[in-house]
Amino acid sequence: MSEPTREARADALLDSMQEERTRRLKIFLGAAPGVGKTFAMLSAARELKRQGIDVVVGLVETHGRQETAALLDGLEQLPRRAVNYKGRDFTEFDLDAALARRPDIILVDELAHTNLPGGRHERRWQDIAELLEAGIEVYTALNVQHLESLNDQVRRITNVTVRETVPDAFLDRARDIVLVDLPPRELIQRLKQGKVYVPETATAALDAFFSPTNLVALRELAVDTVAGHVDSDLREHMLARGGAMPVRRRVLAAIDGHSQSEYLVRIARRIAERRGAPWSVAFVDTGVALEKSRSERLDAAMRLARRLGGDTVILRGHAIADELIAHADREGIGQIILGRTRERPLARMLGRSLTQLLLRRGAHLELTIIATPAERAKSRLRLRMPGGTGRRGEYIYATLATLVAFGLSFIADRYLSVANLSLIFLTAVLVVAVRTRMAVAVYTALLCFIGYNFFFAPPRYTLMIANFDDVLAVSLFLVAALVASRLATKLATQVESLRMAHAQARALLALGQRLSTSTDAEGIRRVGAAALAHAMRCEVAVLARDASQVLRVVASSPRDFDLTSQDLGAAEWSEKHAEQAGRFTDTLNAAPCWVLPLGSDENHLGVAALRFPSGQGEPATDERSLALTMVQDIGQALQRARLAEELEGARVQGETERLRNALLSSVSHDLRSPLASMIGSAGTLSSYGDQLPPNERQELLEAILGEGQRLDRYIQNLLDMTRLGHGTLKLNRDWTDAAEIVAAATTRLRKLFPDLKVDIELPPQTLLLYVHPALIEQALFNILENAARFSPPGQAVRVVVRPKGEQIQIDVIDRGPGIPEDERARIFDMFYSVSRGDRAPQGTGLGLAICRGMIGAHGGSVEALPGDGIGTTIRITLPLPAPPSNHA
Amino acid sequence: MTSAPRVLVIDDEAQIRKFLDIGLRAEGYEVLLAANAADGLALAATRSPDLVILDIGLPDREGHEVLAELRQWTQVPVIMLSVRDAESEKVKALDAGANDYVTKPFGIQELMARLRALMRGRQGEPEAMQRYDDGRLAIDLGRREVWLEGEPLSLTRKEYAVLALLLRHAGRVVTQQQLLREIWGATHTHDSHYLRIVVGKLRQKLGDDPTTPRWLKTEPGVGYRFISGS
Repeated sequence: MSEPTREARADALLDSMQEERTRRLKIFLGAAPGVGKTFAMLSAARELKRQGIDVVVGLVETHGRQETAALLDGLEQLPRRAVNYKGRDFTEFDLDAALARRPDIILVDELAHTNLPGGRHERRWQDIAELLEAGIEVYTALNVQHLESLNDQVRRITNVTVRETVPDAFLDRARDIVLVDLPPRELIQRLKQGKVYVPETATAALDAFFSPTNLVALRELAVDTVAGHVDSDLREHMLARGGAMPVRRRVLAAIDGHSQSEYLVRIARRIAERRGAPWSVAFVDTGVALEKSRSERLDAAMRLARRLGGDTVILRGHAIADELIAHADREGIGQIILGRTRERPLARMLGRSLTQLLLRRGAHLELTIIATPAERAKSRLRLRMPGGTGRRGEYIYATLATLVAFGLSFIADRYLSVANLSLIFLTAVLVVAVRTRMAVAVYTALLCFIGYNFFFAPPRYTLMIANFDDVLAVSLFLVAALVASRLATKLATQVESLRMAHAQARALLALGQRLSTSTDAEGIRRVGAAALAHAMRCEVAVLARDASQVLRVVASSPRDFDLTSQDLGAAEWSEKHAEQAGRFTDTLNAAPCWVLPLGSDENHLGVAALRFPSGQGEPATDERSLALTMVQDIGQALQRARLAEELEGARVQGETERLRNALLSSVSHDLRSPLASMIGSAGTLSSYGDQLPPNERQELLEAILGEGQRLDRYIQNLLDMTRLGHGTLKLNRDWTDAAEIVAAATTRLRKLFPDLKVDIELPPQTLLLYVHPALIEQALFNILENAARFSPPGQAVRVVVRPKGEQIQIDVIDRGPGIPEDERARIFDMFYSVSRGDRAPQGTGLGLAICRGMIGAHGGSVEALPGDGIGTTIRITLPLPAPPSNHA
Repeated sequence: MTSAPRVLVIDDEAQIRKFLDIGLRAEGYEVLLAANAADGLALAATRSPDLVILDIGLPDREGHEVLAELRQWTQVPVIMLSVRDAESEKVKALDAGANDYVTKPFGIQELMARLRALMRGRQGEPEAMQRYDDGRLAIDLGRREVWLEGEPLSLTRKEYAVLALLLRHAGRVVTQQQLLREIWGATHTHDSHYLRIVVGKLRQKLGDDPTTPRWLKTEPGVGYRFISGS
């Protein structure tokens, strides 16, 4: 495989074209402060300005150097952002001003700078990253000791720990790196002349730092870095051009959370970079509960790896070597780097140390064992026993067990031979070994042996061992202790590992179940917030954009949850970029909340803000991944709900289209006829009231009343129509008893037709619909009204409700004239009144059309069927969903 | 009661004020009329009416605000006037302390019936009803026992709780949220299906037909009302 495939070449070319647009970064790299980076940068800017390019100084520190300050003359400078921190005033680079100004090129000095709390990003390089993403070209300056991967080397060379570091991956974004070089002798000269800015606080460390040996070494590092950069550029260039490149095998660093972990990560990065290979860092979680300090170191190392541009992965399994090899084979890893592990002598003797196992089983892999720095972790993994008693408790337990064994032995001494007594002690050792740790088991074994030897083994009351049997007993005690405790440890480990995995699985399962019972976005957010709060043991708020695009809290647990403005800022950022922000992250981490996005870039579904007690440290890696998984699940549920909502919207829309077309023509008829009789009757009353006999007056009054009510119903219908027509019809679904809907509609009908007989047949059980009750009631009422109008006097209208599989059928049966078969489908069309037209008393074609609209919007249907013998049956069919778990 | 009960009508529509004025006076009430919130509140404060009829939509302020202000200093019964299809408005008003509502357009007889029920409750009704008995259904709230047609009726805890809560507010509507909150707890105010199932069971046990209810009347979209089955 020496020839890269065409696809690989095309990809590389594409990459490089894409990068050309985003890699608009120029870094002026120096070996030490004072070599003239700022000076070089400003000179370059002046040259650009002369060429007519829009270049702006975002922030440059002159440190009072006059020759530098002189260069600023004539260059546009952005005002700085004033920051008050702990009562003192500072100024910072103003990122928003820079984004608003949008120059072609901007100068921002001191790439490694750490922003004061309260800014958008923690570090200046993040500010610059945002500028680059906005398409602004950036010039910046950096000293080589601030490079993350060189951190250890710089410390070893200079004995100075540099805290402000820049991820190496950031350097890779630079199109150009300009090495600003000054021979060490000249730099020291400048220093002596006071031309190098040094913070007052650092004068003590100064002499040590600026020693000729240090400067030579730093200079070498700087040159190395630039050379390395040129190399990798060249390589990519070659690949893009189709040149042959060896297949790059990944480099994997295996870390265990002991003190050398970060060191290993840096080494891995260096090795990978030299080989031009991608790299990752793995930790094998054997399920053993980690000590706090160790898990913190582990997290720190993982974070470092991500910052340096490596992938991180957590493998789970009991056998570390097997997991690593399996992972390596899966991911095409060619080299594994690991630290010299603190091996148990016994394991090494048996050839079962990690290194040995890897060597034996991973023969195809290249293994690199790194000698760790002098400091050695003293702490040793101590397994916490589930429900254990702690250190001292274990020894007390062991001593008690030994004493019991003694007691028993004194009694048994009368009946058993001395050799058999050792079995009692052996039992004690086994019991202790199984219940505690190896050290305690050995302690018990020794105690038992001494006691056994002293009190029981002849010669008694001496520590002499007279015969071979007793030597055997001692060995047996020890072997039993070791074997049993090893087994018990392994078992406990597995139990612990299972328990944790189980707890996480349970949290996810519970969330899934609860999410599946929530039908709308609001419910999902509520359930999600509660589940997150429960699983992470923190306070949770879920935010989403409202109609006016403002991000606000829509669900929270506990109920009252006030976000600070910093939290809201982090939430805004996170929602927009679909990335984490706030506490425990690199972005806006002055916010008290840890903000996680619920959706991806394209679907903005809001964010979840998690607030932990302020004293609590960063969540461990597996807690983090649990939170992320849960947030993902919630996002998916929201996405599902959104799709369902859109589907429902489309359905409402479809019904709407059918209805709106013939609306206008109805207005004149349906509104004017009742008005005509009302105005007429009232006019008659007003003009001739006195001359009319009382019964006629009453008749006219009742006509006004009746027509008024009729008008009210029409207006209701028209309102429903326009609501359907303008898409403002929002289905306010609620669980509703079908019987109650029938009751409400028939009650209204009885008011309108006091003499009508209505027979209602309801099933014995309660049928729950998930509908907008008022709309279904209106639909049913329209059908009932229609049936009542066409029913001959004395004949009942029947309403029959019955469940039919996962649907409910509501039949309205009248004994009227019936509808010819070929017209049945058309009666639901707007203003279609069966061959009666205006002859039908107060007939309107609107009611049934609306009925179909309402039912259709709920995913149901309505149809006309022949009645029993004569008349018509109108059948409403609606879905009958299973209600969420019953509590009744 | 020395003088006629006094009813304050706050509604911006002159026609509605007029017919309410005529109708209420015909029933023997003394009537106070206000066309906006400010006048209405002033009259309520100075003339201490026995009952207030309040329109939800007023020109100067929302009826809800007027209600809230009234409730700061008086427990006078309030009937809200609302339009149909505004169930959420009705529920909001009831939760904010309104005693009942009437949907526009309404017949004068319906309004008078509601009015009488509220006036009755205000005058005679003892603070806590201990026993209800209409000859067919008997409920003893003290002993938590229910008899139907003389036979003891066995109800589940939830069924009894719903019945008792409705009975304590007999004649008045109890919102679905109130029922859920008081019986199932604040976290279940959205779980209306619990309530529907319990009411359904309760009706079965009482032999109460929802379409012609004797005791448990559904107020669509709002809640339930215990009506005296006499």
